[in-house]
Amino acid sequence: MVRVLDWVGTLVRLGLAAVWLVSGGIKVSDLNQTYVAVQAYDLLPHGVVSVVAAAVPFLELGLGVLLLVGLGTRLVAVLSAVVLLAFIGAVAQSWARGLTIDCGCFGGGGQVAAGQTRYPQEIARDAGFLLLAGWLVVRPRTLLALDGVFGRGEEGQTGGRSGTHSAEEAAAADGG
Amino acid sequence: MGGAERTARKKRQQQTAARKAVTSARSGGGRTKLVVGIVVVLLLAGAVIGGVLYSNAQKNQTEGQSITPTSTRAGDYPVRRDGVVVVAGKDDAKVTIDIYEDFLCPVCRAFEQANASAIEQKVSDGSLRVRYHMVTILNNRSDPPGYSLDSANAALCVADAGKFPAYHASLYGNQPEEGARGYDKTQLAKLGTDLGITAPDLKSCIDSGRYNADVQSATNQAVQTPYLQQDGGFGTPTVAVGQRVVSISDPNWLTKLLN
Repeated sequence: MVRVLDWVGTLVRLGLAAVWLVSGGIKVSDLNQTYVAVQAYDLLPHGVVSVVAAAVPFLELGLGVLLLVGLGTRLVAVLSAVVLLAFIGAVAQSWARGLTIDCGCFGGGGQVAAGQTRYPQEIARDAGFLLLAGWLVVRPRTLLALDGVFGRGEEGQTGGRSGTHSAEEAAAADGG
Repeated sequence: MGGAERTARKKRQQQTAARKAVTSARSGGGRTKLVVGIVVVLLLAGAVIGGVLYSNAQKNQTEGQSITPTSTRAGDYPVRRDGVVVVAGKDDAKVTIDIYEDFLCPVCRAFEQANASAIEQKVSDGSLRVRYHMVTILNNRSDPPGYSLDSANAALCVADAGKFPAYHASLYGNQPEEGARGYDKTQLAKLGTDLGITAPDLKSCIDSGRYNADVQSATNQAVQTPYLQQDGGFGTPTVAVGQRVVSISDPNWLTKLLN
């Protein structure tokens, strides 16, 4: 059972890696368009728009690479969830304010004609990605990961390593 | 040293050894975790910082560039500024069209590339008069924002000096990309000088944004004008005759209009 969950987790990890690598890659290939997309959210002062538009594509690529190699999976999953929540919030506020923009999630972005918006689909898609990140936050143990090479520190909660447990119990019994 | 004392010391030593073992076991896992966390954060920070530097470098390509002057056949038809509209052609021309354009708009550039020479020919032979409306709906799509407005104002300043057609053609011929740096006021003024404008007033007109307020209110008005709306909104380029929008997707729109 544990082995099946490990494989599921591995697919989840690689799936989320693919999402970040594709979305980040498309954005990096047209950074000017990314600026237009971020600007269209009408949320940030222009100096901040500039930095966010330049940073987000590379942050996405970074998260994608780390998930691909499986390094610091839980931390990267937490950061992914934070980024996805920010995206969902940004799309939701655009919807609530009646802006007519494309989210620019996978390239594109900017103003679209009224009636061309796809806010529910965009939020649902990001929520789906958020589930992937959530799995890895709860259960970061996966196969084919660098985490597996660098000790089991990241996966303490699933390991059930009796040696450590008994040592801790002994220390607790000692009373210090 | 008594036996009881020795036993007590031995016990203490054992306890200390056990505690040390626990501490080292704990910090072993904890240290790996910490190191991996630091590596992750450093890698991401590196990606972001490198990305921002790279991004800034690639979007500032217009910095320090001169806008290449484009020549036109200007001179064989009258061009005058009427408020924040530039009117090209004879007043008794058979047809007058209103063109709404933003100097940053890529579709406007495509429109100019496809139609500028035909329009110029018809204006020259006296059959067409064009009213150029320079709107600034893309003003915050430059980084830093402001190119749409600066260029619209500069084109009006240049119209006063009699060089509008060549200036207009030059700006479309060297159009900056949306999301990137545009041209600043110094570059816009230099293009005027390069086109042969000697009026000392040009630089102050461009620097002070003499027509900015009027251009902005004209833009707001165009955006809200009912007959200029298409596909649920106002966009550029828009061509109108009287109070009717001309469908410029038809490649023969100009010929049809003049026949």
